[in-house]
Amino acid sequence: MNLFVLVIKEIVYRKISSLIILLTVLTASAVSVTIFTLSKASENETRKIMREQGLNLYIFPKNTNLIDFYSVNNTPSFPESCVDSLANSRTFDAVRHLTGILQLRYSDWTDPNGSLHQIVVAGYKDEAMQRFLSKQETMGFNVPAGTVRVGALLAKNIPEGDPFVIQGADGKPHRFHISERLTEGKGILDQGVAFNLADLQKVLGMEGQINKIEALGCVCHDGRINNARKQVQAIFPDLEVTEITSIADARENQRLMMNKYGAFLIPFIVLSALLISAFLFYSNVLHRKPEIGLMKALGKSHLFITGLFLLKAFLLGITGSLAGFFAGSWMAGYFGKKIFLFTAGDIGTTWSIFGFTLLAFPLLWMLSAWIPALLATQVDAAETLSQE
Amino acid sequence: MKANTLKNNDMLTINNVTKTYTKHGMTFKALDGITFRVEKGDFTVVVGPSGSGKSTLLHTIGGLIRPGSGQVLFKGTDIYKLNDDALNNYRKKNVGFVFQQFHLVPWLTVYENVRLVCQATSCIKAINDYFDKSGLLPLRNKYPSELSVGEKQRTAFIRAIISNPELLLADEPTGNLDPQNAAILMDMTRDFHKAGGTVLLVSHNPETSTYAGKRIILGSGKIL
Repeated sequence: MNLFVLVIKEIVYRKISSLIILLTVLTASAVSVTIFTLSKASENETRKIMREQGLNLYIFPKNTNLIDFYSVNNTPSFPESCVDSLANSRTFDAVRHLTGILQLRYSDWTDPNGSLHQIVVAGYKDEAMQRFLSKQETMGFNVPAGTVRVGALLAKNIPEGDPFVIQGADGKPHRFHISERLTEGKGILDQGVAFNLADLQKVLGMEGQINKIEALGCVCHDGRINNARKQVQAIFPDLEVTEITSIADARENQRLMMNKYGAFLIPFIVLSALLISAFLFYSNVLHRKPEIGLMKALGKSHLFITGLFLLKAFLLGITGSLAGFFAGSWMAGYFGKKIFLFTAGDIGTTWSIFGFTLLAFPLLWMLSAWIPALLATQVDAAETLSQE
Repeated sequence: MKANTLKNNDMLTINNVTKTYTKHGMTFKALDGITFRVEKGDFTVVVGPSGSGKSTLLHTIGGLIRPGSGQVLFKGTDIYKLNDDALNNYRKKNVGFVFQQFHLVPWLTVYENVRLVCQATSCIKAINDYFDKSGLLPLRNKYPSELSVGEKQRTAFIRAIISNPELLLADEPTGNLDPQNAAILMDMTRDFHKAGGTVLLVSHNPETSTYAGKRIILGSGKIL
């Protein structure tokens, strides 16, 4: 009879203790998967909120009058290459995501009905990720070339299916496909149009120029503004860093706190479950002393006897971790959708940790059975077999 | 008694074996200079009162208790000079154990308990024949908890001999049985012996001696 069949039969015979061990793995893996998935969801939610509701840092030319920034059409500009310089700088590690923007008040935009409006035009450079920081998903607001996204107020004046037309500095009309009509509540963009940076630069005749950088995902925690300011000014003395606090800050702090909480909770639960399992495996060895003694008398090797316990731990570990992965994913989805309103639809099974879960938990549970298994090989066969 | 000269027919040579236990600061000699020989095909009974060292002697011969001094030679090889794997192989290939407490695995059926020791196909095929002869065939799918003591001991006996060991070591095999079941078991032991097997049986029941060709009387760890 092979080891696998023997272990399965023993698990079935000792249902209760096997079930408790299975539950310890299931609980530990489910909690770990839930916390990890929620942590990821929290990160996405924070990113979304930061993008929608306000950004951590803005980088402007030093002489920019911020009071008038959104209402004038001649704020100081600087080369868009500054974005790439910051992204590729080893000494600038205060911010992960950098988006170069050219944003101006456009005074005389004529809508399809012939009415004149003052609108805000903003050109977005594709987001640059800091090279020397760990990679993350993009947070920015990229607009494909040749298209625009029009704000809710503006969209009311353009019939569905019509292109967006704007007079260029060259005196010619420029046409763009409207890829999205934004819903209201986007702040200044409600009365504006988002372009690809190069398109807007061409319309305004400001090739290669931007007038601010949105810096997202600050990793400076405490003293963020000072740190970022020093780093930017060390590279570009003519640029200024301004912090615009928002709800995103609170959410970011909450996220960091949750990560710390998870970093404590996962090992605590896993360790507790491991200790319970180790105790149950030890108890299993004590109950099975006569069986182990018999196996020795029948000439079964130490490896075979150790295998009886380690294979049991592995099988329970892999079954528990598989069930725990799906249970954890389900819990994360169920609770996450109530917690994270912006990204509720994106919360799903985190397949990236599937393999890790199926590998780590069986190994950990084999580890918890290791000492009991070694003790099993030390059982005195003669003593246990001669007991009356 | 000198036993250190190996004869052609010798299966087992026990040479000046001692075993001492210390418990609660007291030293107790379980085996004290035991020397004897068992030839192939012998049916030897070791008798003696409780605590005389019978079981210790049997387990020492079975490779389960390392003696303090002396030698246990199986066909001329000192089994306690073998490494762990070789000692396991010695037990697996040459020795069949029967215990007073049966020691059936509770989560295996009657058939599976016997099947546990089978490596060869011929061994597996022989299981049902043995069950048929011993009346266990209808019980082959029952678990030990569903058997009577006599049925349990018959199962344990078949497990001990199914792989055709040369040496059967039986430790008080009838100790828990009523006279009728004890007689059945001793008949099975005799059949194994008649088929050429070597039997070393430990018992405090003098009646078992009637089946044996040789008798060793043990008292206080010594051969009397």
